[in-house]
Amino acid sequence: MMPDLLAARAQMGTSLAFHIIFSVLGVGVPLMLCISEGLALRTKNPVWMMLTRRWARAAAILFAIGAVSGTILSFELGLLWPTYTRFAGAVVGLPFLLEGFAFFTEAIFLGLYLYGWDRLSARAHWLCSFPIWISGMASAWFIVSANSWMNTPAGFVIKNGKVVDINPYQAIFNPSTPFETVHMILASYVATGFGMAAVYAFAYLRGKRDEYYRKGLMLAMILALVATPLQLISGDFNARFLYVYQPVKFAAMEGVFRTQSGAPISIGGLADPSTGQVKYALEIPDALSVLADYNPNTVVKGLDQFPREDWPNSTLVHTSFDGMVGSGMFALLVALVFWGLFLLKKRTLPSNRWLLWGVILAGPLSFLAVELGWMVTELGRQPWTIYGYLRTKDAVTTAPLLNVSFLVFSLIYVLLAVALIWLLLKVARRPLPQVTLSEEGYDVKEPEIEKVGV
Amino acid sequence: MDVALVALVVLWWALIVYAVLGGADFGAGFWDLFAVGQSAKKQHQLINHALGPVWEANHVWLIFLIVGLFNVFPSAFYALSIALFFPFTIVLIGIVLRGSAFVYRYYALDESGLFARIWSRVFSATSVITPFFLGLSAAAVASGKLISSNGVPQANYLAAYFSPFALVIGVMAVALCATLAAIYLVVEARDTENDEALTESYRMKALIMGAITAVLGALGLLLSISEAPTIWQGMLTRAIPVVVATMLIGLATAITLFRRSYRIARILIIAETAFLLGSWGLSQYPYIIPPFYTIANSANEPTVIKVLLIGIVCGLVILLPSLYYLFSVFKLPYPIPGLRRSEQARQTQERKKNEMVHPS
Ligand code: HDD
Ligand code: HEM
Ligand code: HEM
Repeated sequence: MMPDLLAARAQMGTSLAFHIIFSVLGVGVPLMLCISEGLALRTKNPVWMMLTRRWARAAAILFAIGAVSGTILSFELGLLWPTYTRFAGAVVGLPFLLEGFAFFTEAIFLGLYLYGWDRLSARAHWLCSFPIWISGMASAWFIVSANSWMNTPAGFVIKNGKVVDINPYQAIFNPSTPFETVHMILASYVATGFGMAAVYAFAYLRGKRDEYYRKGLMLAMILALVATPLQLISGDFNARFLYVYQPVKFAAMEGVFRTQSGAPISIGGLADPSTGQVKYALEIPDALSVLADYNPNTVVKGLDQFPREDWPNSTLVHTSFDGMVGSGMFALLVALVFWGLFLLKKRTLPSNRWLLWGVILAGPLSFLAVELGWMVTELGRQPWTIYGYLRTKDAVTTAPLLNVSFLVFSLIYVLLAVALIWLLLKVARRPLPQVTLSEEGYDVKEPEIEKVGV
Repeated sequence: MDVALVALVVLWWALIVYAVLGGADFGAGFWDLFAVGQSAKKQHQLINHALGPVWEANHVWLIFLIVGLFNVFPSAFYALSIALFFPFTIVLIGIVLRGSAFVYRYYALDESGLFARIWSRVFSATSVITPFFLGLSAAAVASGKLISSNGVPQANYLAAYFSPFALVIGVMAVALCATLAAIYLVVEARDTENDEALTESYRMKALIMGAITAVLGALGLLLSISEAPTIWQGMLTRAIPVVVATMLIGLATAITLFRRSYRIARILIIAETAFLLGSWGLSQYPYIIPPFYTIANSANEPTVIKVLLIGIVCGLVILLPSLYYLFSVFKLPYPIPGLRRSEQARQTQERKKNEMVHPS
């Protein structure tokens, strides 16, 4: 039997790891829809419309699962972590509420967008995609600002064990908000870009190279190329921020056990807290001190500065961090080579097999980077839920049978994932819709009727 | 006025909206379960058609409620989270499976295939389970026995939610959802599908379910004398006008249904739900969870609530027009900018036709 605290943590982690995949797409895909439908209206090229329609169909399914898995989370905050929610609700409830409004706006315009193809005029339909991507981005901003608050709590005072003098604005705009929100929103675009590019690169490899696939691949790779370098720069800012504000997390993620000046960077390897070393790592002398403060003599605090019971699991955090950075570097390399070849070859899409495989690999790797990045943030914050104020073991509910609950929810996720993948594969194998341009806009004939009735 | 009270009223309105919109969603799933025989396919289509564009938006009210509650009454939320751990976990599973099942079956390409059939069953079963446990949880709160006498919330105090009172209210919640849905579907069947037989069948269903709801409501009221004395006292004193109005509106709904004035019946059943929840809210005042948590002792700091209220107002300024637009495009036959010309013409014509057939 699993202890209750571990079960609750596992359930929370599983739920969030599941949800984040859909959130990322919920932030990224609407932007793609908006661009491609705009291009369809402007260039009057029906291929853009075919792409839009196909994406919208997949998005309808994905967004619904995003909504469902998000609902699980909003319940779980209370059901698993009532003490946390009482604290956070009092101080930093506002972004959760505003997030609710953002979802609402998103859901409304999504309804209009997905079900309004034949009812709305072409222009009105396109305009509906704007609120969707803006509110997707806004919800990511709000929820991540709440998470930032857990990392660098602000906007309240504790007097006699009571939370008083609450300032919701300070709570939202806590020190790590600008760093985390920017990094997360960019991550959504990186992952969406490479994720979609991977699908078309795969089709490309299998010889499907007509305009539809070329345009799909190109648009996705443009998004990836713009977002990835920005993402790496923003990540560098995050790391330097942590060096000042969350030195424990910084030490764990870089695998620094001993406080030292001229600290080396350890790339890869296994951080081993019992020996205080990172085994099998590639070490670059002085590099960490330079990264943290542009100065090789800077002293980097190691885990030895902090009581043992305040250490996060440095092995997991360090490995997750390297995985994220590694994936990011790989993705950047792929994007650069892709567009380099494109320019060299007089603006035709490169069809080198290795490169296409690189794109296919970069898709899942960017999603992996998102997951691992969150592991750095969340595992690196342990043993605290609200850093410095509320320990995870004090935040958990007193309700019994949490391991049963974990088991049930895990099964539900497996069930949902299997059904989802099955359905998406079927949708992807359907023949493309017939698109014609009339004076009222695009008319689309799906190959078969999709209405259900059992 | 006390800001916490203002916020509570706002939340209560959200609860009413969720009951009216989300409740009808659940009810539609209920009827989906009973759609058998010749017209089953048609009924499924009607339900899909009615739910498709709006279910996700309907559902967000619930999230708004949860988030609002932990913003405004953090400590009461804390107690509820623990004390209602089991029913809420079931509700959560219900909501999750229901939402995904609806999408999976809607987008299943092979409509009679096993995939669609299984998810269809999941959809209807969870549509019944979820409102039952929501009703049960509400009754457990109202009973005043949810939190044991030492005031410490516990998850394993099962007596409160398996009392006859809670069970009756749970079933009543299901019946109310079914009534709501049946009345919406009558309108949908007549005006959108123009299907005489289907319209009549939903009219009958609405009448029967309405009657069942009324009987269960009366039973619940009787049981509350011994099992939820706070509520019973409140109903007799503060809330009496609302209780009487609820009964009268229920009667009026039945009459309009009987006389086939479906659009009026739809307005009345919405009012009925609002008054029903209103009477409960009023009679439980000033408790959030009787007898330990009151508005005063569980509210957040007034400054925070003020900021929240400002946030809500700003949100609503964006939300309400958008919501109106959504419903205008899909549910209301009034022309609105942004429609295609052909659609504009179709709606206008339909409205003319309806006005000719049912001059109201
Ligand atoms: C496509 C995904 C992706 C890529 C390529 C990167 N990251 Fe990242 N990273 C995330 C996706 C992500 C994330 C999932 O979005 C996180 C989790 C929390 C957050 O705000 O962003 C994150 C968190 C995160 C944190 C922890 C922030 C905190 O706990 O407050 C640091 C220090 C970095 N990242 C640093 C980097 C560096 C130095 C990168 C490359 C050079 C990098 N990230 C690439
Ligand atoms: C970094 C983490 C998160 C990001 C970036 C994020 C972002 C998003 C986005 C973009 C959506 C819309 C998804 C879609 O339509 O596919 C969404 C849905 C949702 N999220 Fe998250 N989310 C995150 C974590 C959370 C957490 C921790 C909660 C719980 C409090 C939560 C609650 C919800 C809810 C309730 C929905 C459904 C809204 C609806 O019904 O439409 N999310 N999230
Ligand atoms: C969506 C991306 C996210 C992922 C993948 C993620 C992952 C995790 C993981 C793995 C845990 C368990 C950590 C442990 O106990 O060892 C956790 C805990 C938790 N997370 Fe996140 N998280 C995400 C975003 C968020 C956000 C946006 C919030 C809130 C605003 C949040 C709130 C919490 C809470 C309250 C806990 C439980 C307490 C704790 O363990 O500290 N998470 N998360």
